[in-house]
Amino acid sequence: MANNQSTSNTTPTSASVKALPNITVSYVSENAVLLEWPEKIDAIQHQHIMFCETQIRQALANTIIESIASYASLLIYYNFTAITQHTLNTLLHKVITTPYCSHNDGAPIISATASTTAISTTATSNNSNSPIEIPVYYGEEAGWDLAYVAEQTQHSIQEVINLHTQTQYHAYALGFTPGFCYLGELPTVLQLPRKSSPRIAVPKGAVAIAQQQTAVYPAASPGGWHIIGQTPIDMYSVADQQFKSTITVGQTIIFTAITKAEFLALGGQIVKEAG
Amino acid sequence: MGTQTQLTGLKVIKQKGLCSIQDLGRISSQHLGFSASGAADEYAFLFAHALLSHSCHQNNNNHHNSAALEITLGQITFQAEQNCTIAITGANCAASINNKPINNWQAHHLSAGDILQFLMPKKGLHTYLAIAGGIQNTPWLNSRSQTSTETALGFSTNTITVGSVIPLCSNAVIEIPSTTLTPSAFYNTLDDVLTLRFIPQALYLALNEKEQQVLCEHTFTLSPNINRMGYRLSALPENISASLHIAKDAIRTKLSKPVTYGTIQLPNNHQPIVLMKERQTIGGYPVIGSVIQTDLFKLSQLRPGNRVQFIPTTVLFAQQQLSAMYQRFL
Repeated sequence: MANNQSTSNTTPTSASVKALPNITVSYVSENAVLLEWPEKIDAIQHQHIMFCETQIRQALANTIIESIASYASLLIYYNFTAITQHTLNTLLHKVITTPYCSHNDGAPIISATASTTAISTTATSNNSNSPIEIPVYYGEEAGWDLAYVAEQTQHSIQEVINLHTQTQYHAYALGFTPGFCYLGELPTVLQLPRKSSPRIAVPKGAVAIAQQQTAVYPAASPGGWHIIGQTPIDMYSVADQQFKSTITVGQTIIFTAITKAEFLALGGQIVKEAG
Repeated sequence: MGTQTQLTGLKVIKQKGLCSIQDLGRISSQHLGFSASGAADEYAFLFAHALLSHSCHQNNNNHHNSAALEITLGQITFQAEQNCTIAITGANCAASINNKPINNWQAHHLSAGDILQFLMPKKGLHTYLAIAGGIQNTPWLNSRSQTSTETALGFSTNTITVGSVIPLCSNAVIEIPSTTLTPSAFYNTLDDVLTLRFIPQALYLALNEKEQQVLCEHTFTLSPNINRMGYRLSALPENISASLHIAKDAIRTKLSKPVTYGTIQLPNNHQPIVLMKERQTIGGYPVIGSVIQTDLFKLSQLRPGNRVQFIPTTVLFAQQQLSAMYQRFL
């Protein structure tokens, strides 16, 4: 079926070509090209990734099959029979070298009310600039690892909660499981390595931290992050055969502490650690 | 969707192996965190549909992206609840209709009440059972593919078990088209060392020429840990493990980035993992390169203990191979 001989005689050249001094373009698969930015968690750089993704999707609407953004990278799937690598390359270079102005990063948080309707309205907003508020019950029965995190970081439990809620997070990537959004950057003092052995079952709604990241588990799944609380709100909704993630990549997120009574009133069910 | 329960089809009456419904997957929903999924061996999958496709236009003609059954390690028996025309390809499960042996890589008629049995194949992993008109399970995000890690979340249709009915078109009978297709000789050579051509990425390019040569001359064995998500291989030769360790430190590997079908990851235990159809969308391990798709379809048929070798190639070559394969079937 295949011609092995012709490849063994071919010396492949590097698949990567330098674009901007800081952005690398690599054709990694038959139908995928990977753009990589400097290896850092940086909201302003990430806005540039989002900008490039939008521009590329607009310019090549009929050729792009899918695009996936992560912390410092963007993968574009394209129909390789519809465009030559040369044409695509020219366009990619044009987009990534386009002068770009980032949004004012420290945009004030729109005051979020405690009502459920306000939460669901913000949560479904398409406007990536308005922060999404995630209510969290940080009680010890919900935050299975809260005491451990406090001990390891040499802070009180209340200080850990304050540090987690006083930070505005940026949604960098979606993956692991549908609706799981990687948020950053966690305050340095809260950064801990993952658990040495992952739990078999992390409950749905678990708010967790690991390294520079924080996230909400959208469904019960195995996981190695430290659980510091639980949220009563769903991380995704399904209607008319459409999947909608509560948080989308590029959005701003804040966590707010709620009481056990508020958690239950919002329909939450506390899952306690077994045994 | 309400009509789903009224559909008849193939009823599973015995099952020991794995079986799932697959089409070409949901590649465009990866940004939401969904696995691309899809048929593991597209060659055998497309071949099965081609055996049921007429060149003239017919309503129940199989489209290349119709859903079919992917039977893993055989050991499944169906009873037909309606007449239908089927095609069987891939790993040879010594299939039979009412205990009469039938040929692999061929189309056959089933009458209501017939028993279709698949035994465990001697070689290979996946067998495809396509039915005229395709399987009519409810699509999810433009695909009927089932992903094992996502069925539990309730997104796609239920996992196939004894008692499941594989829903078919009400008219799933066609005249069997004449065909000139002959199956690839590959399926007779599954025990040979399979050459995996790959598009190099950072970790491979960070090695010097001699180290690259050592890597490509090494024969890897498939570990027992293989599934639709990924294939784990035996460890790298020791004399280049150290170099790769240094290379890993030199390249940027800290933050997770999107991965593709065929990405060769290198975790700290130096046992490469080749990502397959049910891979996650992003991953954090350093990447050696990506195996080309036409070789991945072959790899998906190998079992633990089978052997592979890597050899670098170019994106252009990979594209030509894939186009040539699709052109045979589409």
